Amino acid sequence: MSSTIAESSNGAESVVLDLHKKFIETSQSGPDILALNRKALDQFAKLKFPHRKHEMYTFVNTKDITGAPFSLKTKSSSPQEFVKQHVYAGCEHSHLTLVNGILCSELSDATALGTAVMVGSLTDAVKDEPIKTALQESIEQENDVFASINSAFMTQGIMIRVGKDKQIEAPLQILNISTGGESGPVMTVPRIYVHLEPLSELKIIVKYVGEEGNYFVNSVQDMVVEENASLTHIQVQADSTDAWHFSKNRVHLKRDSCYRGYQATNGARLVRHHNEAWLSEPGAGLELSGVSVLVDDEQSHQFIRVHHEVEHCTSQQRFKNIINHRARASFDGTVVVNKGAQLTNSDQLINNLMLSDEGHADCKPNLMIFADDVKCAHGATVGQLDEGQLFYLRTRGLSEAVAKEILTQSFASSIIQEIPFAPVIEELNQTLLKKLKAN
Amino acid sequence: MLEIKDLHAGFEETEILKGISLSINKGETHAIMGPNGSGKSTLAKILSGHPAYEVFSGEVVFEGKNLLELSAEDRSLAGVFMGFQYPVEIPGVNNAEFLRMAYNARLVNEGKDEVDPLDFDDILQEKMNLLGMENKYKERNCNDGFSGGEKKKNEILQMAILKPALSVLDETDSGLDIDALRVVANGVNKLNNEDNALILITHYQRLLDYIKPDFVHVLSHGKIIKSGGKELAHELEAQGYDWLTTTN
Ligand SMILES: Nc1ncnc2c1ncn2[C@@H]1O[C@H](COP(=O)(O)OP(=O)(O)OP(=O)(O)O)[C@@H](O)[C@H]1O
Ligand SMILES: [Mg+2]
Repeated sequence: MSSTIAESSNGAESVVLDLHKKFIETSQSGPDILALNRKALDQFAKLKFPHRKHEMYTFVNTKDITGAPFSLKTKSSSPQEFVKQHVYAGCEHSHLTLVNGILCSELSDATALGTAVMVGSLTDAVKDEPIKTALQESIEQENDVFASINSAFMTQGIMIRVGKDKQIEAPLQILNISTGGESGPVMTVPRIYVHLEPLSELKIIVKYVGEEGNYFVNSVQDMVVEENASLTHIQVQADSTDAWHFSKNRVHLKRDSCYRGYQATNGARLVRHHNEAWLSEPGAGLELSGVSVLVDDEQSHQFIRVHHEVEHCTSQQRFKNIINHRARASFDGTVVVNKGAQLTNSDQLINNLMLSDEGHADCKPNLMIFADDVKCAHGATVGQLDEGQLFYLRTRGLSEAVAKEILTQSFASSIIQEIPFAPVIEELNQTLLKKLKAN
Repeated sequence: MLEIKDLHAGFEETEILKGISLSINKGETHAIMGPNGSGKSTLAKILSGHPAYEVFSGEVVFEGKNLLELSAEDRSLAGVFMGFQYPVEIPGVNNAEFLRMAYNARLVNEGKDEVDPLDFDDILQEKMNLLGMENKYKERNCNDGFSGGEKKKNEILQMAILKPALSVLDETDSGLDIDALRVVANGVNKLNNEDNALILITHYQRLLDYIKPDFVHVLSHGKIIKSGGKELAHELEAQGYDWLTTTN
């Protein structure tokens, strides 16, 4: 079953507003979600699409997206074979498949998770009053216009809740499949809400793939990690090369909780990750790392805001980009250390490896510190392969091409090897590193 | 095996080697000594094909081939090995894997099949035993965080794996502790035979006590100012370079 809701033309914002009218008429998400959709649309109208100098989009040109007459797609099935191909070893009985942002139960199997994990929809989630309030607030305070579009069009999404003191052994995979558009670009709005109760543990691997090109996956993940809980969140962006991929992560960390995020970017027409985290109680720790390998005209952008709201929290960011041909990458990351957030420990390191003269990397690591007893460091590099290392390898009989390949791979592998899920490491060694080989 | 004829070289406009001639036959060990900055490492790097250096005139013939025309990798495959004075660190590249790739590149060049990691491990282990090297040399990344002496040992391990016809060892002894020097020197001696040759660049007599040179050359200001047998090294040790540079 496939149905497309037609779009209108003229005025970037009015495209969205018109699309929303039609969406509301046909949506079956129930009054609570619809109310959130409307609230989000108001926020969208306030925020508007970014102009060239928008502080959140300094390095990202969104004109192709804002101008495009996107439609929504409600097709929610995908060939079984295609799904199988993308389910990781170890997740055969712990994966949820979203097709165009809609949970497809025939293509999902969560039996290995047991009863300790509650998997439901956003409709289920908002039955819980505190969750509803939290979602409402985040929609009202949304600062990213594309995330507000996600909220305006979100339907059932997925809610995952891990019970108190439950450590989930099975890694949970969420497979996001975009089926692409037969007649013009399609926007999908996957939405995930993850809540870890105190002392619980969960590892989620979110993979994004496309059956064909020409789609815009605009996803939002809300994650709440309560006291002493620990969430590992691996995102593998493996969309078709024609796709646009925007993703916003909102992470709320409570006392002594821990979030580890890993983002692997295979590249696409335009990829943008927006990570925002609040370390709101002492002892919270955040680790965020990412690697992207970009060729041809691919683009990948990182926008990060980490808020150290109280004392004794740590955050660490490590990002590496490999840029070939005319590809572009940017990093815009700020760590905000609030007044009173003493003994904050934070560092940020971005390394760009340029393999061509036409590639482009922008870096804006930034610290905003309002406390005096903190340890914060940041650094960024943009460089080429090391001549001395290249020569050394060649004196051992390795050709220049092989030597370059070895050094390029080793640049990426320091991030890849740290991903705490072997099947993803293996996959990235194939996919990311293969991209380097072809050159 | 190696014939260097009136070699003038340096980089950009600067001439560092000012007419070097040297003839090395199979089975011979040549020591090159000389004051700091005299051009010893420059000679070694030029022999190994470092792209930063330029040859202005002269020739270098290695086993009938014009060595200067070959790329760094082709020189290596042809059998020239360079043990660096300052080996570079390559973080992110496992040492054992790197050694296997280098070993396989040689096999492929000889038209042979590559060895798989398990078979290579046997080959590697044998050489490591020969040089008294612990397992960490396999497990760690190439020279990454190695101490000065460990890096030098790793150079000799590579030499042992690649079995070159001509090895140029640039101050392999500096940085090695007394015991390591003995072990490494014994290892080098075991690798030596009538078919290969060795150029040892060193400042110290001690290395030459272990690896006996057939010839000793003194390089000063880019020229070989004196050549002799191993007794020359003793004289240098006793008197320094002054007596040579002032009498020449
Ligand atoms: N890349 C370079 N750039 C500038 N000068 C250089 C470079 N390499 C070598 N030189 C100069 O060339 C001269 C010879 O250097 P070389 O390293 O060959 O000396 P060496 O005999 O090996 O000395 P040492 O005993 O200290 O190792 C020195 O004056 C040195 O400063
Ligand atoms: Mg030197």
